[in-house]
Amino acid sequence: MRTRPPAGAGVRGPGPGVREEGTGDRGWTRREIAGLAAGALLSTRLARAGAGPLVRPGRVGLAELAAPPPGARLDRAAARAAIERALVAATGEPTAAKAMAALFSPSDTVGIKLNCLAASLSPRIELVEGLVALLREHGVAPGRIIVFERSDRELLRARYPIRRDGHDYRCFGVAGDWDSEPSISGAIGSCFARLVSTTCTALVGFGVVKDHDLAGISASLKNWYGVIHNPNKYHDNNCDPYVADVARHRFVRDKLRLTVVDGVTAQYHGGPAWRPDAAWPLGLVIASTDQVALDAWAWRTIDAERVRRGLPKVADAGRPPRFIATAARYGLGVGDPGALREVRG
Amino acid sequence: VSAALSRRRLALLAAAGAATALARRAVGARTPPVGGAVDAEDLPAREASWYRKLPEERVECQLCPRGCQVADAERGACGVRENRRGTYVTLVHGVACTVHVDPIEKKPFFHVLPGSAALSWAAAGCNVECKFCQNWEISQFRPEQVPARWLPPEELAAAARRANAPLLAATYSEPVVFWEYVRDTALAARRLGLRTAVVSNGYIQEAPLAEVLPLLAAVKVDLKAFREPFYRDLVRGELKPVLKALETIRASGTWLEIVVLLLPTLNDSEQEIRDLARWVKATLGADVPVHFTRFHPTYRLTNLPPTPPSSLERAWRVARAEGLRFVYLGNVPGHQGENTVCPECGEVLIRRVGFTVRANAIRNGRCPRCSHAIPGVWS
Repeated sequence: MRTRPPAGAGVRGPGPGVREEGTGDRGWTRREIAGLAAGALLSTRLARAGAGPLVRPGRVGLAELAAPPPGARLDRAAARAAIERALVAATGEPTAAKAMAALFSPSDTVGIKLNCLAASLSPRIELVEGLVALLREHGVAPGRIIVFERSDRELLRARYPIRRDGHDYRCFGVAGDWDSEPSISGAIGSCFARLVSTTCTALVGFGVVKDHDLAGISASLKNWYGVIHNPNKYHDNNCDPYVADVARHRFVRDKLRLTVVDGVTAQYHGGPAWRPDAAWPLGLVIASTDQVALDAWAWRTIDAERVRRGLPKVADAGRPPRFIATAARYGLGVGDPGALREVRG
Repeated sequence: VSAALSRRRLALLAAAGAATALARRAVGARTPPVGGAVDAEDLPAREASWYRKLPEERVECQLCPRGCQVADAERGACGVRENRRGTYVTLVHGVACTVHVDPIEKKPFFHVLPGSAALSWAAAGCNVECKFCQNWEISQFRPEQVPARWLPPEELAAAARRANAPLLAATYSEPVVFWEYVRDTALAARRLGLRTAVVSNGYIQEAPLAEVLPLLAAVKVDLKAFREPFYRDLVRGELKPVLKALETIRASGTWLEIVVLLLPTLNDSEQEIRDLARWVKATLGADVPVHFTRFHPTYRLTNLPPTPPSSLERAWRVARAEGLRFVYLGNVPGHQGENTVCPECGEVLIRRVGFTVRANAIRNGRCPRCSHAIPGVWS
C-alpha cells in the first residue's frame, strides 16, 4: 500500500504533494551512512560482550539447495541438511546441534514467525520442519515449538497444517489474540500478538527473499509487521522508520535468536504478492543471527538480479529500503552491505 | 433541512447497488447467515466503489484524501480495503462490529430530532490514527481482529424500525472506511421511511462525499483541531481536506454539526478557538452548532489530564463572542452549555443533562417566546 502522506507528515517523508516515488532520486544522507557504520560498531561490541545467546554481527550463512521441479516438493533430507549447513555457516559452530545449543535453551518456548502472505512464495514446510526437528533434538518440547503467522488462512494457503496441540510442533495464526494495550516503540504504537509478548521466550524469523512494492525488499525485518495489530498504518515513507521500530521493541529485540530465509526461489519484482513471472531460482537457504545483515544481503541480491534483467535497482525504482539503515543505527545489526561476511556451508 | 433525491438519482443508486452485488459475486464473497458471527478467516468481500486500476494489478483508492496506491495482496491505510489481483474490495460491507440503540444526543446531535433513539452501528477500521481515539479498540484494528456480525443494509434498517428508532447513525469508528455500507444502508432506511446520519472525521474525497450526501439527514464532523501540525502529529491526517468536506456538507443542505474535542495545551488555546469560530461563521454560517467536548486520557495519549472545565468554558465564551449562535459543551453533564438557547431572546429551548432531554420547548421549529426560527431537523 502506497499512501500519499499528509503535507509535511512522516519522520523523513517527502514534502507536500511529492509522490513517494520521488524519494528514490536522492542519495544516502551522511546521517544514514553514519547510521550504518554506527550499527556495525554497536553490533561488534554486542558480540564481544559474550552474554546471552550467540550473536555473529554481519555474518550471513548460505547453504545451496536446488529448487525442485515445478509442482514438486523439496526432498526432506536435503532440506534438513541445507538448514544444518546454513546454521553452521551462520554461527561458526562446528555442528548444527552445537549451533542450536548456542542459540536456544531446552526450556525455551520458541515461536517461528513465517511470512506466508504470498502463499506460493512462502517458506517451504520441509525447511521449517527441518528446523523444528533440530529444536526437538535439542530438547525443546513439542508444545513449546510454535510455528505461526497472522492467520490460519494464510498458513493453510501455504500448505501448513493447523495444529493447536499434539504432533512435533504447534502451528496456527495469532488471529485476534493481541495485547490489550498498545506499546510505543519510536514512531509506532501497536498491540503485539500475545504469542510474541507473553508466550514465547525465543523467536525465529523465517521469511523469503522478495521485492516489496513499498518497503523495497522483504526478507527478515519486514516479517515482524505480522506481529503487530496495525501494520496498515505504517507503510508510508517506505516503511521507515516503522519496520525498524517494530524490530527494536523489546518483545522482538530481546527474544530474537535466529533468522532464516527460504531463498530456494526468490522474487525480484512485483512483491509482496506472488508473481511467478518475476521469480528466479536463487537456490539458497540463508541464516543469520543478525537480521539486519540478512536484509542487507537480500537487498544486494535482489538488486543484482534486477540489474541483470535490465530493471532499475529498488532504490532507483522509488522504494529504497531505508529501514535497514535505521535498524543499523538502532544497533540491531550490520546494515552496510560492504561489511557483510558471507559464509558458505 | 433535507436534501431532495430525484427519481433519476434513486434509479442510478439502485443500479449502482445492483452492479456492486454482481461484482461481489465476482470476487467470490461468501456470506454468513443474517445476524450470524462473521468468520474472521473468511471475511465477506465486495468490490469497492471508489478506486481506479493501475498497471501491474495495482490500484489507487479514491475514497479518502490519502489516495493509497495498493499492490496486489496489500491493504490501504484503513486496513479494511484489500487489493485482490487488481480488484479493490471492501471487507466491511455488512460486517457490523458494534450495534446499539443510543439517544441521538450521544452522537452528539443537538438539532436533530431531540430525544430520539438512533440505531448506531460501526464496522472496524479508520483512515487516520488519532493518538487520543476513544474507540481505538474497533477503529484501529482490522476487521478480522474484531468480532462482528453479518448485518446487511436491509437488516440494519429493519432493526432500526423494530427498535422504534427513526434514524440510523454510522458512528463509533470511521464511517468513511465503510462508505458503501453507509450508502446502501441509507438507501434501505429511506425505503422504510427512516433517516440516516453519519458521525465522521470528514477526511474524505469530494466525489464519494457528494454522492452519498443526498441520502443523509445529518452529518456530524469531528474537527480535531484548527492547526495542520496537530493533524500531522496527533491524527496522521490533514486539516485542509476536512475543511473542504465541511464546506461541501454545508452547501449540500444536509444538516451539519461540528464537535471539537479539546485537549489540554494541544488545541485549546484562545487564539485557535477564535480562529476556528471565525472560520465557521465566515464559511459555514453562524447557525452551525459547534460542540466543545471534554477529553479523557486514553489510547496513546495518557500523559494529559482530562480537559479542565475552565478550558471548555473559555472556548464556549470565545466562540459565542465571535458570533456563533449555537455553542455547546460536552462530557460535562449538568452544565448550562448543554442547553439550546434562543439566539434572539435568550429563552432556554431545550434543557439537557448529559444525553437526556429534560424539556423541549421548540414548536414547529421556532422559539415559543419570540417565534425565531431555530435551524435543525425537528420533525
